[in-house]
Amino acid sequence: MKQEISALMDGELFEDEVGYFLDRLKQDPAARKNWAAYHLIGDVLRQPEHIHCDLSAKVRERMHDEPTVFAPRRHAAKQKLRAFALSAAASLSAIGVVAWMSLQIGPEAAPQLAMQQNAMRPVNAHIQGKTNDYLRAHQEFSPGTNMSGSAYFIRTVFMVQTKFK
Amino acid sequence: MTDKEVDQQLVERVQRGDKHAFDLLVAKYQRKLGRLISRFVRDSAEAEDVTQEAFIKAYRALPGFRGESAFYTWLYRIGINTAKNHLLSNKRRAPTSTPFDVDEAESFEDAGLLREVSTPENELMSKQVVDVVQASLQQLPEDLRSALMLREIEGLSYEEIASVMNCPVGTVRSRIFRAREAVAENLRPLLETSKGNRW
Repeated sequence: MKQEISALMDGELFEDEVGYFLDRLKQDPAARKNWAAYHLIGDVLRQPEHIHCDLSAKVRERMHDEPTVFAPRRHAAKQKLRAFALSAAASLSAIGVVAWMSLQIGPEAAPQLAMQQNAMRPVNAHIQGKTNDYLRAHQEFSPGTNMSGSAYFIRTVFMVQTKFK
Repeated sequence: MTDKEVDQQLVERVQRGDKHAFDLLVAKYQRKLGRLISRFVRDSAEAEDVTQEAFIKAYRALPGFRGESAFYTWLYRIGINTAKNHLLSNKRRAPTSTPFDVDEAESFEDAGLLREVSTPENELMSKQVVDVVQASLQQLPEDLRSALMLREIEGLSYEEIASVMNCPVGTVRSRIFRAREAVAENLRPLLETSKGNRW
């Protein structure tokens, strides 16, 4: 414990150790005496011509009459603010992505997309036997290839599943 | 974690209602603050009162401390204001021969201008403490003494001391602790038996 107090006063403890040893200091009057003695030694070494008596006891005595101070917890407020900022940023990003996608598709692409969707349903419903071979052979000419990559794969998987039925 | 970060942790504990954490800050800074205040208030008994007052004011003001500056810089500003107010309330002026810039607070180490009016009893006690520390230091093995001096006088980090002394950081940590503990061991009888346990 004493060695850790020595390292603590030099700012040489790891962050996760500091809280633990500050708790120990709070609970242990003997440890606080060591803290005071080690600081006195440092002060004597640096300024031997100006060492005055210990004021801790007097200050402590006067603090008995002082109401305990409490400050608003800034960490909690900070965390709330951070969570709000993150969720706001995520929402904005999502809106941005949707807006970008709709711009990419464009108004002229809308009828084409509607056609694709209409075309997909009957094709999916009637894929059987020879039709599958036909579709595979002509896949590159399919309107589905104009769509983004994921739609292409969704359609392919569906075909395989129907084949095994 | 640096020394200043440890101070900040202590401050946050005080802000959560832990008075013991404030005790630790008083033990750490009382002599630095007292030295600063005695530049303004030359009478040692008055300077002692003003130093206590400055700590109490700091304690009351701590809820508003946001950690934008180092704790001791903030504390020193309070010390200077308390000293100046004390002089004003006694219709005296702050000494013009010792102009002081608040920004100097962090590097203030000049004791040459100090002219403390100590009581004989205080002087004797101070002398005894200094004598014990210096005698204990002389008795220490060279490696322990060097490690402690490099830390306390030169202000080097453990890593820097390890580099100077060509040894692992863990050895530096152990040497500094053993040096402090050996000196403290000789000091304790004096600290315990001093009148009113004033050390």
